[in-house]
Amino acid sequence: MTVRLLAVAAAALVLAGPAAACAHPSTSLAYLEGQIMCPTCHTTLDQSDAPAARRIEAFIQRRVAQCATAGEIKSELVANFGAGILAAPPRKGFDLLAWWLPIAAVLAGAVLLALGVWRWSRSRDGPPDEPTAVSSLDPDEERRIDELLARLD
Amino acid sequence: MSRPLKLAGQLVALACVAGLLGLLVWRLTHQEHAPRIGAPAPTFTLRRLGGGGTVSLASLRGRPVVLNFWASWCVPCKTEAAALEHAWTRYRGRGVVFLGVDFHDVTGDAERFVAAHALTFPMVQDGSGNVTGRYGITQVPETYVLDRTGHVVLHLAGPITDPSFVGELQRGVREALRS
Repeated sequence: MTVRLLAVAAAALVLAGPAAACAHPSTSLAYLEGQIMCPTCHTTLDQSDAPAARRIEAFIQRRVAQCATAGEIKSELVANFGAGILAAPPRKGFDLLAWWLPIAAVLAGAVLLALGVWRWSRSRDGPPDEPTAVSSLDPDEERRIDELLARLD
Repeated sequence: MSRPLKLAGQLVALACVAGLLGLLVWRLTHQEHAPRIGAPAPTFTLRRLGGGGTVSLASLRGRPVVLNFWASWCVPCKTEAAALEHAWTRYRGRGVVFLGVDFHDVTGDAERFVAAHALTFPMVQDGSGNVTGRYGITQVPETYVLDRTGHVVLHLAGPITDPSFVGELQRGVREALRS
């Protein structure tokens, strides 16, 4: 009887173990696998079936079950694999350039485009060309135009 | 558009094209290749697996070195583990150093692999793959044998137990011992 009771208690402990480890995980594998790279195939974990990716997923699942936060898991992976394990560069230090440069490029492009459009519209709205072209006609052409105009009259 | 503005735009475009061209040339000239036989092996300092401190390849100068690149998720690495341990116990008395380089691996998994296969030679970890890349390695396992001066004597791309490599490791180690 005692043996049976002990066996039931042990089974209950085994079953309750994972739940007791972390009742309310703060993150999940599904949340993280799009943010972590597979180091051997250079795609995110959710797009990889490589053995290395499967191992990293198992590691994430273990840490999620231990109630680790997404930040803690990412930090541990960076310590293990280097910053290249993250799909997006961190928002600090030199890596900030990777975030700001595209925005700066888009803004610069927009400014250039606006400038171009403004100048183009201004040139269209401006006064029509003065008859400078007429004055640049040579005397022979001027004479012929005068004749044509006289004929029209 | 005014002439100076147009000129500035052309200069910026030219600078962009020159920058991209420079990047392409840099990428082409800095591609990583496996060191050739007789060439010096790329030096490195990596942290020890399952313990504190680091191991530097330069500190092993003067002794033949067998560098084995592996990972716990690599199936052929399991098949060659026993053969490597056997070779290590055979040659360690003659001054040969075996150094395992664990590649792109979760530390806990790598430590479990070492324990499961009862590997006793020193191990370092290259989590980022930077060092492994300098050896031109894309798949594990691979093994390099270096002579006493740190030059490559042998490179086996595959498990040392592969039938095509029969006797190759012994030949490489003997050659390294003669250096």
